[in-house]
Amino acid sequence: MDTAQKNGKSDEILLEVRGLKKHFPIQSGFLRRVTGYVKAVDGIDFYIKKGETLGLVGESGCGKSTTGRTILRLLDPTAGEIIFDDPNIGKVDLAKLNRAQLKRVRPNMQIIFQDPFSSLNPRLTVGQIVGEPLEIQKVASGQALKDRVAELLQEVGIRPENMTRYPHAFSGGQRQRIGIARALALNPKLIVCDEPVSALDVSIQAQVLNLLEDLQEKYDLTYLFIAHDLSVVEHISDRVAVMYVGYIVEMASTEQLYYHPKHPYTEALLAAIPKPDPRKRTRPIKLPGDVPSPANPPSGCYFHPRCRYAEEICKVERPPLRDIGGEHWVACHFAEKLQLQGVTPLNEIPLVELPKRQATAPATTAAAT
Amino acid sequence: MTNVATGAGTATTGAQIVSEDDVVRVEDLRLSFYTTLGVVRALNGVSFNIPRGKVLGVVGESGCGKSQTGLSIMQLTPGRIEGGRILFREFNTSEEIDIVKLDKNGPEMRKIRGNHISMIFQEPMTSLNPCYTVGHQIEEAILLHQTQDKAEARRRAVDILRKVGMPNPERIADSYPHQLSGGMRQRAMIAMALSCNPTLLIADEPTTALDVTTEAQILDLMRELQHEIGTSIMFITHNMGVVAQMCDEVAVMYLGRIIERAAVDDIFYNPKHPYTISLLRSIPRLGVARGQKLESIKGTVPDPYSTVPGCPFHPRCPAAIPGLCDAVMPDEVFVDGSRTHTVRCHLYT
Repeated sequence: MDTAQKNGKSDEILLEVRGLKKHFPIQSGFLRRVTGYVKAVDGIDFYIKKGETLGLVGESGCGKSTTGRTILRLLDPTAGEIIFDDPNIGKVDLAKLNRAQLKRVRPNMQIIFQDPFSSLNPRLTVGQIVGEPLEIQKVASGQALKDRVAELLQEVGIRPENMTRYPHAFSGGQRQRIGIARALALNPKLIVCDEPVSALDVSIQAQVLNLLEDLQEKYDLTYLFIAHDLSVVEHISDRVAVMYVGYIVEMASTEQLYYHPKHPYTEALLAAIPKPDPRKRTRPIKLPGDVPSPANPPSGCYFHPRCRYAEEICKVERPPLRDIGGEHWVACHFAEKLQLQGVTPLNEIPLVELPKRQATAPATTAAAT
Repeated sequence: MTNVATGAGTATTGAQIVSEDDVVRVEDLRLSFYTTLGVVRALNGVSFNIPRGKVLGVVGESGCGKSQTGLSIMQLTPGRIEGGRILFREFNTSEEIDIVKLDKNGPEMRKIRGNHISMIFQEPMTSLNPCYTVGHQIEEAILLHQTQDKAEARRRAVDILRKVGMPNPERIADSYPHQLSGGMRQRAMIAMALSCNPTLLIADEPTTALDVTTEAQILDLMRELQHEIGTSIMFITHNMGVVAQMCDEVAVMYLGRIIERAAVDDIFYNPKHPYTISLLRSIPRLGVARGQKLESIKGTVPDPYSTVPGCPFHPRCPAAIPGLCDAVMPDEVFVDGSRTHTVRCHLYT
């Protein structure tokens, strides 16, 4: 992995993760003895370049949220390195920092949570929520703080007058915007977006995705975009990593991964996307059984019991994540041999133009009734 | 042009799609919730039909009344039905029963509910009783409606579990819901709903809580069973992808009204209502316009306690006509002489 990253691009890498592991102990019995581990993340390597969006996809329980939280040290990693290129300090291994050191790096890495209903404190006003990071880092106080909060709210499309209101007064989409304003407060470099749009309605989802893209352009942000909706990930990501039971099984540029997948699990995921075209009805690839438990994974390649291409070697030996050329990383013994089916672009459906009978009519005019 | 917001009942029936063999025909259904904060008019004159053996998709954003429409047909809604008819016709009968007129808890309604009309809910975690085995919960419906014989009920329960693709139906019948994964629980729910061979199955976001691979398999299963049993399905969802994959016909709802109704192909290839068009334009499509901005519908769904004069979509509509759309509720009309495509928009009246 190191060689590819050092091919003249190492200076652009913002975050590099090497061998990251996060195991949760399983305790049982009266003495709460540790009887095993849930290997939520079990040795993953990846990197994110400055200004890009890396999509992280996988089914529930595959460890994608744990990965996001471990990178920010919201969870302490069991093993591995998280090398972050801090603009002030330079390259640091986040896994080794103590509390005081972490506090200095934290302004540069923020998170947006999935559930806009539980991620905002109901007892604080919107102004307090967005201003909290500024107070903790002692960036601003008094009128300066208020001005900055107003500016941030304006940035995400919330009227600054709403600063004194409480989160319950806002809809899901507006709350997610408040969450985004809070993440932006300290001018971060990296934002981990943990399923930021999956709790939102379709029309609101498009608004929030557009906002995230605008902000990325304006502030040169780098996103780790965790999601399970593969259409959304395709839209927003430059590169995509696919996780399965604690491992990254495939990582490549969005075009490569969606149109030329090399891992059978990616193929199955892509085939399962419900495509919004009634003339292209697809049948899913049958995946027998369920996702294995990360506490008791199968031998060899974790995907082999469900894989239709599995052979003897897959039961015994776990394939390493390797580069098969052009920064396309796959963990499959037969990556080069398999002819897998990607998605077909949905360009046959016409994008119907909105009808305009009175082109000049402003929609919101409070005309006389 | 009269203000039809008050007298929609007679005006809408003129353009309502009907077919020879409808399982359910809903006419001008009105439903309200009386809360301490005010009255929420959840459904404001909903009319549609479900033809026998077809899948009708009901789409819309949260709060548009799609779930309440489903619950009204089952007489399970906590709101008050204030008007309209829900005409239901069983297999092999020509007699129509008006569900609205039946007593919620009366014997006629209980005979229909779970037997002729059954429902699958969104959350497979919370809609199964954690204290009873899956087999017991399926047998309950069979014992209530089909047979008195317990051994026979058990056999049928295991049979239906096998039909929904459970790997080891005898063992699954003896397991408790917590022992099953989300996908397995949803299969158990489907088994329960289909155990009495219902005429109509109401599926309220059955796959929203599931992962894509599981979702695809549940949809595949529902399609197979639908062909086999011939059940009509009312498929409530907000996912346009799922609609395209599952449904024969689609009704698009906005704020308690159906604003467009057509065959699935027309909804995707020839949508008419600005809301339907905007919805379709706002979903990311694979391989199309990557790196470009998605189009979004400005604003949000208005607060449920308020009433919007005129067309409910006009404050967000890019094609709204001042003085008309914000004052007069448009009638439901057929599009271009078609008998299968209706729209409720002033652009087409």
